[in-house]
Amino acid sequence: MLNFTPAAGAGSGAGGGSGAGGGNRARAVPGRTIRVRVKRCEGPGKASRWEVFAVKAEAGSNVISVLQQIASNPVTVEGERTTPVVWDSGCLEEVCGACTMVINGRVRQSCSCLIDEYAPGEGDEITLEPMSKFPVVRDLWVDRSRLFHNLSRVKAWVPIDGTYNLGPGPRETPAQQETRYALSECMSCGCCLEACPQFTLEEDPKAWGTSFIGAHAISQARLFNEHATGRALKGERLEALMGPGGVSDCGNAQNCVKVCPKHIPLTESIAAIGRAVTIHAVARWFRG
Amino acid sequence: MSFMDRHYFLLRRLHSLTGIVPIGVFLIAHLVTNSSLLWGKAGLRGEGEKYSFGADGVTLGEGGVAYFQKEVTWINEQVPHLLLIEITLWAAIAFHAVLGVYYARTGRSNTDRYAYQDNRRYAWQRISGYVGILFIFYHVATLRWGWSWLVPGGAVWSHDAATSTLAMALRGSESGWTGAGLVVSAFYFAGVSLLVFHFANGLWTAAVTWGLTVSARAQRRWGGVCLGLGVGLMAMAWSALFAAVTIDPREARAVEASLEQGRVVSPGE
Repeated sequence: MLNFTPAAGAGSGAGGGSGAGGGNRARAVPGRTIRVRVKRCEGPGKASRWEVFAVKAEAGSNVISVLQQIASNPVTVEGERTTPVVWDSGCLEEVCGACTMVINGRVRQSCSCLIDEYAPGEGDEITLEPMSKFPVVRDLWVDRSRLFHNLSRVKAWVPIDGTYNLGPGPRETPAQQETRYALSECMSCGCCLEACPQFTLEEDPKAWGTSFIGAHAISQARLFNEHATGRALKGERLEALMGPGGVSDCGNAQNCVKVCPKHIPLTESIAAIGRAVTIHAVARWFRG
Repeated sequence: MSFMDRHYFLLRRLHSLTGIVPIGVFLIAHLVTNSSLLWGKAGLRGEGEKYSFGADGVTLGEGGVAYFQKEVTWINEQVPHLLLIEITLWAAIAFHAVLGVYYARTGRSNTDRYAYQDNRRYAWQRISGYVGILFIFYHVATLRWGWSWLVPGGAVWSHDAATSTLAMALRGSESGWTGAGLVVSAFYFAGVSLLVFHFANGLWTAAVTWGLTVSARAQRRWGGVCLGLGVGLMAMAWSALFAAVTIDPREARAVEASLEQGRVVSPGE
């Protein structure tokens, strides 16, 4: 059950009707028509514009199925025929992260966003925007390459490549598993980055190596630092996180942990990495 | 690679550290001293009776002025290497301010969309930093460096007449409030309030930055400690300011003069 109230779409003037608490579902009006306000963009570098569509809400529909309805008849409320809205999606069960977008001013996955909760009444409006921290490919589809680039900055993997069999991995205690399981749930959706005031749009890939790495990568560095084999790269990960755009760039706004759809303790990861780099830096200074 | 990039981590951590030592520690000492304007009578422990400022013994205001004056005199005459301490403080504040602005400019606040309390504090930490820089500069330039042309009424702060000259610099004249004096006093209220917030909140974020508080529970607990410290410092800051703007500079001057010359005077003289 969702238990938050999505903020009104800033600048769009769309309030999304009443709040979208879990209770909305029970009072959703059957057969109602809702308004869908979509931020459109023809392609990279092009100006964006708003288009509003009227859609007959189907029971149990989500944002993706509404976008499919619009695609089948792309006519705006003004009666103008337009192109179908482009969006990205994959699993449709909130585990791949591809369909992440800004809905009523707040980032989340569109597949798990139920229309009955967000627009329960006749004429209620729902606002869809692409994430603002990644370059728009078209309409609601963004290019999340930087997110994956940042995972490579901290070598977010276990080094097992080689020319011979390494044998079975070391055992992990249940306590380690408990800590790491929560971190392993990250699906690289980008919610934490979209909500972060320190993570800003950077279209130039040459600047990606020194701009803020983001909560997801810091948390993944912790995940692999705590892995018995992944620990081999701990020093390299911490060095990367001490440089420009590393963990020091975090401003402790703590939005990341609040918007994470997987409830990953991102701020605890940031603090844990903060502790690790403190120890690493002091040890390195005395060791030489 | 630039200097900033080569020493990135060290500079970031020094920025965090200087906010606590020496700046934060000094802020606590400064507010304890200044708030004695209000609680100073208790600090005199009966010693004030021998000055007998008025017919009815030592009043709260007179006690505050006397105790505060003794504190300020002690600092200026007994603390060794005072100028060295001051220069260290000014350098630390300049370092913290310059890097702080540089770091603050890397982010873009989004409290309109994510109106969480933590996120609001992120925004206020930056706002309070900007205003705090202006305030500290004005405060030190006028009351320490003697830039009296920036003071309404042109009062020059003197450590021999700590309360009376402070009250004049805040009120704009010896006799009462002036319009410019009101503006200065309002600026002081905003400045000290924002700086106390900046320190208390900075102490909370520093614990996360250094990895002192890791779990969400530990962060909440430490948040309670920082809130308590912040409330205490805010009470001291407000009481100091309240006392400074409500004391009559002429009455304060009489108390200071009696301390200076070790003789008995009454405010009416």
